[in-house]
Amino acid sequence: MAEPSGAGCSIPLDDPGLDIAAGEEFLQEVFQILLEEGVRKSTDVTQKVCDWKEPQELRELLDLELRSDGEGREQLLQRCRDVLRFSVRTGHPRFFNQLFSGLDHHALAGRFLTETLNTSPYTYEVAPVLVLMEEQVLAKLRELVGWSSGDGIFAPGGSISNMLAMNVARFRRFPESRSRGNWDLPRLGLFASQESHYSILKGAALLGIGTDNVHLVRTDKRGKMIPEELEKEIQRVKAEGSEPLFVCATSGTTVLGAFDPLNAIADICARHGLWLHVDAAWGGSALLSPQLRHLLAGIHRADSVTWNPHKLLMVGLQCSAFLLRDSSGLLQRCHGVGASYLFQRDKFYDVSLDTGDKSPQCGRRADGLKLWILWKAVGSRGLAQRVERAFSASRYLLEQVKRREGFQLVMEPEFINLCFWFIPPSLRGQESYPEFWDKLGKVAPAIKERMIRRGSMMVGYQPHGSHVNFFRHIITNPAVTRHDLDFFLDEIQELGWDL
Amino acid sequence: MKHEDSSWCCYQLSLYRSPTNRVGVCKQEMLQKKNAVLVDGVILNGPIMDSKAGEKFVEDACKIIMEEVVQKADDITEKVCEWQAPEKLKQILDLEMRDTGECDQKVLQLCRDVIKYSVKTNHPRFFNQLYAGIDYYSLVARFITEALNPSVYTYEVSPVFLLVEEAVIKKMIEFIGWEEGDGIFNPGGSVSNMYAMNLARYKFCPEIKEKGLSGLPRLVLFASEECHYSMKKAASFLGIGTENVYFIKTDERGKMIPEELEKQVQRARKEGSAPFLVCATAGTTVLGAFDPLDKIADICEKHGLWFHVDASWGGSALISRKHRRLLHGIHRADSVAWNPHKMLLAGIQCCALLVKDNTGLLKKCYSAEAAYLFQQDKFYNVSYDTGDKSIQCSRRPDAFKFWLMWKALGTVGLEERVNRALALARYLVEEIKKREGFQLLLEPEYANVCFWYIPPSLRKMEDGPEFWQKLHQVAPIIKERMMKKGSMMLGYQPHWGKVNFFRQVVISPQVSREDMDFLLDEIELLAKDL
Repeated sequence: MAEPSGAGCSIPLDDPGLDIAAGEEFLQEVFQILLEEGVRKSTDVTQKVCDWKEPQELRELLDLELRSDGEGREQLLQRCRDVLRFSVRTGHPRFFNQLFSGLDHHALAGRFLTETLNTSPYTYEVAPVLVLMEEQVLAKLRELVGWSSGDGIFAPGGSISNMLAMNVARFRRFPESRSRGNWDLPRLGLFASQESHYSILKGAALLGIGTDNVHLVRTDKRGKMIPEELEKEIQRVKAEGSEPLFVCATSGTTVLGAFDPLNAIADICARHGLWLHVDAAWGGSALLSPQLRHLLAGIHRADSVTWNPHKLLMVGLQCSAFLLRDSSGLLQRCHGVGASYLFQRDKFYDVSLDTGDKSPQCGRRADGLKLWILWKAVGSRGLAQRVERAFSASRYLLEQVKRREGFQLVMEPEFINLCFWFIPPSLRGQESYPEFWDKLGKVAPAIKERMIRRGSMMVGYQPHGSHVNFFRHIITNPAVTRHDLDFFLDEIQELGWDL
Repeated sequence: MKHEDSSWCCYQLSLYRSPTNRVGVCKQEMLQKKNAVLVDGVILNGPIMDSKAGEKFVEDACKIIMEEVVQKADDITEKVCEWQAPEKLKQILDLEMRDTGECDQKVLQLCRDVIKYSVKTNHPRFFNQLYAGIDYYSLVARFITEALNPSVYTYEVSPVFLLVEEAVIKKMIEFIGWEEGDGIFNPGGSVSNMYAMNLARYKFCPEIKEKGLSGLPRLVLFASEECHYSMKKAASFLGIGTENVYFIKTDERGKMIPEELEKQVQRARKEGSAPFLVCATAGTTVLGAFDPLDKIADICEKHGLWFHVDASWGGSALISRKHRRLLHGIHRADSVAWNPHKMLLAGIQCCALLVKDNTGLLKKCYSAEAAYLFQQDKFYNVSYDTGDKSIQCSRRPDAFKFWLMWKALGTVGLEERVNRALALARYLVEEIKKREGFQLLLEPEYANVCFWYIPPSLRKMEDGPEFWQKLHQVAPIIKERMMKKGSMMLGYQPHWGKVNFFRQVVISPQVSREDMDFLLDEIELLAKDL
């Protein structure tokens, strides 16, 4: 043991360079804390949703600085407790703030497993189980879209899935642009509704297409793309000498939860030879429900689909599938560069399973595993039930909003997004005064501040088009009960009563 | 199961929350309970999840994870992999997803199977990638992250993680040698490189964000022949085109030759194209080479080019006072990609793009100002809502695991980790030099040890095309045998006219000298009949 180990170096190399027993013990200890503070309490309705601190105060509480020396066990355990305490409990039944919420125990176990296995599903060699699983999960999602074959990959978020769609569309039309670049291509035209997600703009910027070349198509009063307007825009862009390329329809818009009319849009795409992408990041999960899948009628005609099970299916961030109808290897041809250190061709197994080259990423997380475990545990039926429950709960809330004085719908919802204003007593009956809307626009931020300081619940608000700030209520979590919904409305009333 | 009644008439008042509602309780049973609240045929009184059973499941699954993965991670008597051919593995795993769910016992068995047939990347004899090993503190932070399920775009939903990211970025910037700067954590080094490329382009010509590339001069960027393939991927994704990545010749150790870079920049200028970016690599993927950053910085300054350093792999050497000289000159870079998930074991993924600019370039380049997420009338300082700097919308808090690990080990502990890995690589190099049949490809600078194993039957052969052709087939066969045996894993590749050779990478502090000796013995053993 004492003999020198390295060539002229003084570092002892005979024993492991870390204390394994202490590490395992620490892991066990934190796990107990996590189960209590992270899992149990984050789903407990009697706990606060958040424990608000101003940034400067929180910075001091957390003692963020990284120093030369490591800290002891007790101090580290306290740090873990602090992180759990001051983080927002997104799994809480009264967290309605984002398009994700809740905590699914089966998926959580899958996520712990993913973390512990710590690998990247680019080759069968290092991730045999995870590669096969990803293939299986993608096939299942495609089946629900209505495709019997196709391709796909998991991406780190719906925004990137949408960008993959854009890039594949460009590659199919201009395969040489992959190597030559875009400088000698005509100006391309991308189309998405006014209600589409902002990632379409981000994608156009990143891909070198330019945000000016995203043409936002007008929507009807429910936020759905008007097909005739799409036709007009395409004609207009063509007349300007640009080359229309790509239409992104949205199934479940971020704010209003609107579903674009896919069949009518698909007709237009077919007529003009345009790539049809459906951003179903939010609404895709409705495909699981026989009752609700009509919202996406026509989705099978898309060329590609984005679908994020981390939203409505509660799989945990992130789980975003990019699905492709093409089964000729377009994705691989578009993104693959065949790195010889990773994707060796002379391996002893079928290298078509080394699917990592289909992605613009190299290392990539195995996001399929948690969805697979969840699916195994509850079945397609259990997932459908979840979607239907969330929808029904939003219907209950809708009825209550209609009945209660002072609450006013922005519009009749199609899906789970419930958008409404709360009009405090002082403003009621003043709708005809010019300053009414200005004043109303300040109500939601004030209520939001109060609810966060109190920690009682969280819900999002935003201005939108010509509408002043309104609340957007989202339910994804099956732990939400009617009681929580009644509480939600009571609480808004209470917090906004004196405004 | 579908209920035909979709009217609203069936609400009945009840504040009943059912804590004992079992998974799988059928609706008939629920309906028989008093006061069922039905909407669209769905009962809304109690949750449809049974949180007690769920918590029990998580506990059981964690027990399995602890016993089967964590506690076995340092056990060299365990296999690194349990090889099965794809078709066979598909059958074993029962991958199909069905209409009905399985009971928890069955799902736990599935978890065990997943573990059994997965590669143990934390095994001391997994040398296959630029990641390996297990760090308990990082793992703890990762579990916490999963339970909290945050997305780091706004202070409102991720107060702790945004501040942690800010602190970690600040510290990483300090190690680069900048006084201030900006940064963001990304899903992988490839994405960080892509960010840098787009940022460089934005700085070069901000209008590209709105107008796109059509009709502009041809943009050209430069990277060494040894650079990571993400340069090509990013160039095609960004619409720049793979042929507009000009690859610069490297010396015999894989380092970019500055004079060649100068020539290529001149060439691009003569062609009338628009050079905008040089990407140097600090720690190349295969050879572990470090480009001469100082000299490259001179050229970038002279020509006004953005200077990006892909230090995904080599960046962690900055933590070591002994080895940081490898990155001498990195403080002159405009941007740096650095992946703590590699050498420092922060866990996949943990990748930062760091930017010297502190005028908000990152934000200007990427922002889209979504009104539903980045409301400007919030009650706190909205400059903390940093999510709009990213191309992503939801984003994982990857800085947190690095932060907790750093808190636990301190800079000194991280430094020891780097020093130890490089000492082990040194030890291996010396052993390779001593042993018959092993031949180094080149004297390594870093943790990548590249070598051929020449089996006995080839040792007497004359140097010539036939020899190399035969040697080319050796590594794949040894690799097949080691995987089927499950004794260890290391990578091989051909490289610029060099036939297949092994690339041994040491990362994990669980690796000891004995494992290095084992590696060489095992190769000899597996190839003795070749």
